[in-house]
Amino acid sequence: MRSLAYFIGTFAVALMLGIGSAWYMIEQGSPLTTTKVGPWASWNALGNPTADPYTKAHLARSGRLPLTSTVARYFVARADSAGHGLTSACEYLIVGSPINARWWSVALYDDNGSLIENPSQRYSFNSEEMLSHADGTYRIHVARAARPENWLPSGDDTDRNLVLMLRIYSPRDTDSLGIGLVPDDRLPTIERLSCE
Amino acid sequence: MRIKIPGLYIVLCVVLAGLIHIVAVLTLPALAPKNAQARLAALGPANTMIELPAAAPGRQAMPMMAPDVRYAFCRFDLTNGPIRLSATIADDLWLIGLYTAEGDNFYAVAGADLKKRDVQFVIVAPDQTVEEAGVDSPETSEEILVVNSPVTEGIAMIRAPLKGPSRAERADEALKTTSCGPYTKAG
Repeated sequence: MRSLAYFIGTFAVALMLGIGSAWYMIEQGSPLTTTKVGPWASWNALGNPTADPYTKAHLARSGRLPLTSTVARYFVARADSAGHGLTSACEYLIVGSPINARWWSVALYDDNGSLIENPSQRYSFNSEEMLSHADGTYRIHVARAARPENWLPSGDDTDRNLVLMLRIYSPRDTDSLGIGLVPDDRLPTIERLSCE
Repeated sequence: MRIKIPGLYIVLCVVLAGLIHIVAVLTLPALAPKNAQARLAALGPANTMIELPAAAPGRQAMPMMAPDVRYAFCRFDLTNGPIRLSATIADDLWLIGLYTAEGDNFYAVAGADLKKRDVQFVIVAPDQTVEEAGVDSPETSEEILVVNSPVTEGIAMIRAPLKGPSRAERADEALKTTSCGPYTKAG
């Protein structure tokens, strides 16, 4: 009787551990599959036909159709540079330097990957339209109310989780495998300014 | 004896958890009901170029679509022969990607890397061959690229990144001139 209880217990714990660890490594990534730079995370082999099973599972679940890393790189941030989750209750300042690529863009989503309704229909800023300073640096305000320079509206609700995506098309620097290189210091910082 | 039994169960638990982990990771891609292929298949038939409406709140074919990129796609099916994808590349920024149904991007090229504006991609399955006159011939006005697909069913996607909101209309116009259909030798 006791061994049966042990066996059922063992199986239940194994099921939780197995599914839980698989879920975590597919959703959140691990050092095997993702590069983390400050608040930004990028799946190294996303879209690549020779990607590992974790990356392929992540891709299937995401519902996306990303370009392989030789022509595009994608970086996702769900937290600010201090590690606090991005939320529409707070205002953020994104500060960055130009990226050596043909085209790049910073877009704002909710945590389902949907764009956020706003009257000015502004959902992203890209390298061509961004207002930047004489030295090439740029500042983007993520806020509910209008802000000067580049303003990414975070919508009317104050309880929305936010996700930022930096997509970089045709990076000009590549490694020996042709994978686009984006130096760590080219990824913008995300500073939380104030919260409601 | 009372100590030995739990130790054995812990080993069993770890081995079992490892197996469940591997099975879960390997079966998940096949079980994910709403991958990109499923989302795009709902929008129209195969072997036809379909332009996606500009991504906006509540109007996104896929999650995390770029609001400042215009997309057109063709779900290709090579069962009855190769497929021809024709495009006039309106901008160096354009990106043409070919995918398997699972989303593996097996071919990608940027507009800037193509020699000519008018381009034809002939997508060929592993067991198919095409004898295309004019491939690599400098006299023709079109660039013809034969791409070997590892799968018979997949997705071709053209991305037109915008230089600003004012360019959207022109990108839409340019994407409308792209086409996708069965390959015929006369072309």
